[in-house]
Amino acid sequence: MRSSISSFKQRLRLPRLFFRKPSREEQIHGGPPLEFERPIPPAQWRGIAVVVTIVVIAATAGWELHSRSLGYAPTFNDNEDLWTMARRRVQPESIVIIGDSRAWFDVDLDEFEKGLGKRPIQLAMAGSTVFPALADLTEDKNFHGTIICSFAPHLFFAPPGSPPMERAEKGIKRFHNQTPAQRVSQYLGMWLEEYVAFLKPDDLSLEGLLNQLPIPNRPGARVPPTFPPYFQTEDRERRARMWEKCAEPGSELAKRIQQIWIPLFTPPPPPSYIPPDVFMAKIKEGIQQRFADTVAAIEKIRARGGKIVFVRFPHSGGLKELEDKIMPRQQSWDPLLQMTHAPGIYYSDFPELSGFNCPEWSHLTAGDSVEFSKRLVPHLREALKM
Amino acid sequence: MLFNSLTFVVFYVVVTTLYWSFRGWELRKNLLVVASYIFYGAWNPPFAALLFSTTAMDFWLGRQIANAQNQSGKKRWLVASVCMNLSMLGFFKYGNFLLQNFQWLLTRVGIIYQPPHLDILLPVGISFYTFHSLSYTLDIYRGVLQPTRSLRDFILAVSFFPQLVAGPIVRAGDFLPQLAHPPRLKTNQFLWGLALMTLGLFEKIVLADTLLSGSADRIFGYPGPLVALDSWAGVLAFAGQIFFDFAGYSICAIGAALTLGFHLKDNFRFPYAAIGFSDFWRRWHISLSTFLRDYLYIPLGGNQVRPFRMALNLVIVMFLGGLWHGAAWTFVVWGLLHGSYLVIERVLRIFFEEKPWAGTLPVRVLAGFATYGAVCIAWVFFRASDFTIASRMLTGMFGGHPNGDAILTTRELLQIGIVTFGVIALHWSMREDSFETTVMRLPAWAITAIGSFMAFAIIFTQGTSNAFIYFQF
Repeated sequence: MRSSISSFKQRLRLPRLFFRKPSREEQIHGGPPLEFERPIPPAQWRGIAVVVTIVVIAATAGWELHSRSLGYAPTFNDNEDLWTMARRRVQPESIVIIGDSRAWFDVDLDEFEKGLGKRPIQLAMAGSTVFPALADLTEDKNFHGTIICSFAPHLFFAPPGSPPMERAEKGIKRFHNQTPAQRVSQYLGMWLEEYVAFLKPDDLSLEGLLNQLPIPNRPGARVPPTFPPYFQTEDRERRARMWEKCAEPGSELAKRIQQIWIPLFTPPPPPSYIPPDVFMAKIKEGIQQRFADTVAAIEKIRARGGKIVFVRFPHSGGLKELEDKIMPRQQSWDPLLQMTHAPGIYYSDFPELSGFNCPEWSHLTAGDSVEFSKRLVPHLREALKM
Repeated sequence: MLFNSLTFVVFYVVVTTLYWSFRGWELRKNLLVVASYIFYGAWNPPFAALLFSTTAMDFWLGRQIANAQNQSGKKRWLVASVCMNLSMLGFFKYGNFLLQNFQWLLTRVGIIYQPPHLDILLPVGISFYTFHSLSYTLDIYRGVLQPTRSLRDFILAVSFFPQLVAGPIVRAGDFLPQLAHPPRLKTNQFLWGLALMTLGLFEKIVLADTLLSGSADRIFGYPGPLVALDSWAGVLAFAGQIFFDFAGYSICAIGAALTLGFHLKDNFRFPYAAIGFSDFWRRWHISLSTFLRDYLYIPLGGNQVRPFRMALNLVIVMFLGGLWHGAAWTFVVWGLLHGSYLVIERVLRIFFEEKPWAGTLPVRVLAGFATYGAVCIAWVFFRASDFTIASRMLTGMFGGHPNGDAILTTRELLQIGIVTFGVIALHWSMREDSFETTVMRLPAWAITAIGSFMAFAIIFTQGTSNAFIYFQF
């Protein structure tokens, strides 16, 4: 045994003579592969494979059961491929919803279809800025439909290179460059997501769990706040619904998410490498540029016969206070409508739209989203002259 | 198609099942050709036509080289093959880069020229399959390979899907002989191949993508100055990420090939335990370094020339090696740094190799860490998208930004530290052996436990199908 091991080791240790001059037999194509054969470590591979398979199946089943016991259930994950699937459904005269997570949670597609006569396509993306999607529809020469655009100021004005901008651009890029392999992977992934609850990359993956470790950071470290945990389900049409546990009044989950919005939407201090006044001037310049780009995009769409309406969806509690303080309506919503000459629906302007409460301050519950959509439809019809 | 995608899982299961179910060897080879082209076309179908045309041309040119009556005739056909391959690579990979540099040169002499921006899409893996194909004509010219009579076999040698897009760079001379006789399905070989694929995917999905890539991306994408700790952490994270990403792909490729009965050579041998830079290049991307050695360094005279010429040869080879990785001057600087490391090492050897203390353990360990440190410094240029970022990173690493920002979480710092320590420790513990020897020493229960852990970790991690870094080369 000893000698066979040492000869095996000897064989492996020897550097391969990759490019010695081959013998005459080796030169002839069709000869045997004399020069190289990978060694296979001697072990009971059959038995090992059986045990590994059993252990992995058992561990996966255990993890699935544990995930379900925590309240997770199978649902589609929102990613750039699912967004691309929705984007592909856009027809020249479609009604399209773009914007942030408020349009994603708060719109019920059935109610919109009933009221507007056409089923809208949900293209809003959580945590994203709307401009890339608007620009993409502008560049789509065939499109002359209707755009319902959500407005959340901290996301609407997100600068280039910021996470909300990158998130939006990722979806657009995938739509234009999706490979056949990515398309097939998306269909296969959706098939799995329909049955498996633990497929939640944000929460139940290794990275998601590592993110939740309560390890304190260095004082002064510029560390982004952790994103909220899973609190929605999503269907094939990208209709998001708040998870019931979160919708319960005063639930622990809702409270936890409320506390995440505050650091997430509080503007970070100016970076150390740019003088504060220069930084503030850049921010102001960026906002003016976003206004100008939006105006230009809307004019292009209008020139083709398209329509757009802005909607400010409900928010409440501490987040409302924060948003209203950082980006007051007079500095964001009002100039936007003024510059674009587009109609807008600010929920608090209408008593029938303003009585809704967002349990975690930013989104409506699944039930309220249906009622809110029903009440929003007449305003949309009026704004769009339908 | 990415190895770490659901599409590949289905593709691999279907292809492998059909492959071993077919009785005829010719039928099996046809299946592999079709599968390889589907694998490649799944990115961008038109580029499969480009792959085919390169292959068909080299097949024909190989025959012309072999049939040429004299050496000058052979040389003419070889030049045609080299030009065809390199011009294809040059157009797709370096077209815009060359135009930009041409514009810059003209501006220096006062000529204003605005070149058109060529909207060229880089065919995935073009650098790899060009070298696969080129090795065929080069080896026929060198007299170490006879041209194959079968175009189908040559197509398979160039496009065999496990190694097609990100290596290892498999020379036609290593692969064609394996097509002569049908391999037999050997259970142990098949299962060992699956084990290697699991290891490769673990390295890619768990270690590279989940534990390291986020930190490296944030550090190299940060627009401001960073403190030394974060700068070093970013570089160490990238050093780990690129190793696990590329070595992971290579191991997957080797494993997938093995399950189909083909033998590909190692592409990595514990490179972060290298002592010196010659040693590093014997352990890192072996298929590229041996390719450059055999087809460039040795024809230039190798080390059979005067010392100055030898140093120049090393620098030329590493300059081109850098450029092979990407059309940017940062890659060139990375290559030149490695070239100068190799030259400095040769000089140091002249003075110190014979000293009695040179081979002692502390000196070897010290030299190993110095090698790793220098390799990491070179990685800064490899990863940074421009020289501003590279210079900011290097300044940060050497304490030039004491008041810079700290942007990594404590958890990320811990992850980078643990993975870096782990990879260095493992490489040092295995540096004199092969991976197979190490596995052979392990008891069955340990192999089972490690295999189960890695397979479950892949499922548990839920990778997001990030592309392998080397796809862009």
